[in-house]
Amino acid sequence: MGEVTKAKLEQLRSGELSPVENVRRALEWISRLNTKINAFIEVNKDALARAEVLERKLKRGQRVGKLAGLAIGVKSNINVNGLRATCASRTLEDYVAAYDAEVVKRVLAEDGIIIGMNNMDEFACGSSGETSAFGVTDNPAAPGRIPGGSSSGGGAAIAAGMCDLCLGTDTGGSIRNPASHCGVVGVKPTYGLVPRQGLIDLGMSLDQIGPIAPDVYGAALLLEVIAGRNPNECVMLDVPKVSYVDKINGADIKGIKIGVSPQFVEITDSAVMDVIDKSIETLRDLGAEIVDVELPHLEKAMPAYYLVVSVEFFSATRKFDGRKYGKRIEDVCGDEVLRRILRGRYISRKEYRGKYYQRALQVRAIIRQELMAALEKVDVIVGPTVPKLPHRLGEKISVSAMYAYDYLTVPANLAGICAGVVKAGEVNGIPVGLQIQGKPLSELAVLKVMAALEGVE
Amino acid sequence: MAEERQKEIERSAEEIVESFVKAAEGLPSEREMYYSQEAYNVVRPDGKPSSSEERAEFRKRFIKIMPAKDEDGNLRVEVAKWVK
Repeated sequence: MGEVTKAKLEQLRSGELSPVENVRRALEWISRLNTKINAFIEVNKDALARAEVLERKLKRGQRVGKLAGLAIGVKSNINVNGLRATCASRTLEDYVAAYDAEVVKRVLAEDGIIIGMNNMDEFACGSSGETSAFGVTDNPAAPGRIPGGSSSGGGAAIAAGMCDLCLGTDTGGSIRNPASHCGVVGVKPTYGLVPRQGLIDLGMSLDQIGPIAPDVYGAALLLEVIAGRNPNECVMLDVPKVSYVDKINGADIKGIKIGVSPQFVEITDSAVMDVIDKSIETLRDLGAEIVDVELPHLEKAMPAYYLVVSVEFFSATRKFDGRKYGKRIEDVCGDEVLRRILRGRYISRKEYRGKYYQRALQVRAIIRQELMAALEKVDVIVGPTVPKLPHRLGEKISVSAMYAYDYLTVPANLAGICAGVVKAGEVNGIPVGLQIQGKPLSELAVLKVMAALEGVE
Repeated sequence: MAEERQKEIERSAEEIVESFVKAAEGLPSEREMYYSQEAYNVVRPDGKPSSSEERAEFRKRFIKIMPAKDEDGNLRVEVAKWVK
């Protein structure tokens, strides 16, 4: 899979494959597979017209952008002018975006072609892809099982080859979890590296938009297109444009220090851990130095995360009162969305603020200190992405069992660090992803380790 | 049924709050962390407003998704049902 995006770009640049042909193939593939996989909520009817414009540009020998001709899916909580940003909810089922999110502007400026809007868990509240009001998404890499969430459609679309790249969002693992379950690549950037303007919030202090791709090259390429400061945003790092793809080719990880925590083993199924251990051995064989790091409060991140995210989500959803657009959220939303709204309302009460919300923010500080201290000793920390294999679609599991999917991904969001996922192997044909976490703004180090492992696989 | 659903959801919403209280027992008190970074861009260089054509286009697009409008094309909202 490692060369998929690069090879496609070379075909498009050389004229061996035209943008129109690429888009047409993607549309045909979507129309053939979407009934079963349900990775797209809406297809962009203007995609072919845009491909035709680009094709004329290429024929005239004009300069084209880095994504020229690639078909890109966008999660349905990101505004794309003229397409529905539904958040996979009845609340916004008729909401047609009136503007482009900043990341979409950047994709279009590099001649990417938006192919459609991806399915997702309702308002990104879920880890399985089962809470969408538009139906569940199947996992093309393990049919009949959940694809993971909340960027379920993006993960499934890439795994099925329905488009070239996808934009997902990650608040507590929503890019990394489906990347792991679907056997594809995903990156959650450092908080503040990628503009959030035009994203419909789940948790404003946690959300980041990031790439889902068939290979590390594709993820690095899309990330460098969308990353970098947006002067009009209030909470954004002052980072100029970044470059990754030139630096990950033939990545050498000799001498790099990789941290592994014994706490990962305590909360991860043994079958998953076996696959992860093998990939860690592969990294050692490639010349990395493996070092033990302690993360004693790892398990406390999950309950703290669900308190913080519920308060932020409660606040973010107050605008969905059905008066200016859409429907009143509490009237039409699913159980998990309502659960988070009610929890957020309860925790936000003045009398409980100090007991719950402020305490959760203190635990958040502890988690960040712990991860930053561990990352002082090593270049990256590697481990499992999800502690268990994806369950079968429709299987009833408890709320706490559903939240347990997020144990290993939420710490990176609470701490604001970056993390990527690349396929490590399989258990009985079900993909398992290795998570690589790095210091804030060390996406390049993370991508290099991902590329090294992908090169071996 | 709706009431039952609400109660069940409320119960399960409280479970995670209780599990947090247990998880946080014995942890030291730290300064609360709202964002993972402290540098906020509080003086946005917004510059000039968008062009009048762009604003007119946006207005047209927004009107299409409004639940109701008056004869001048302004948003018309009813007092919400839950407002007493």
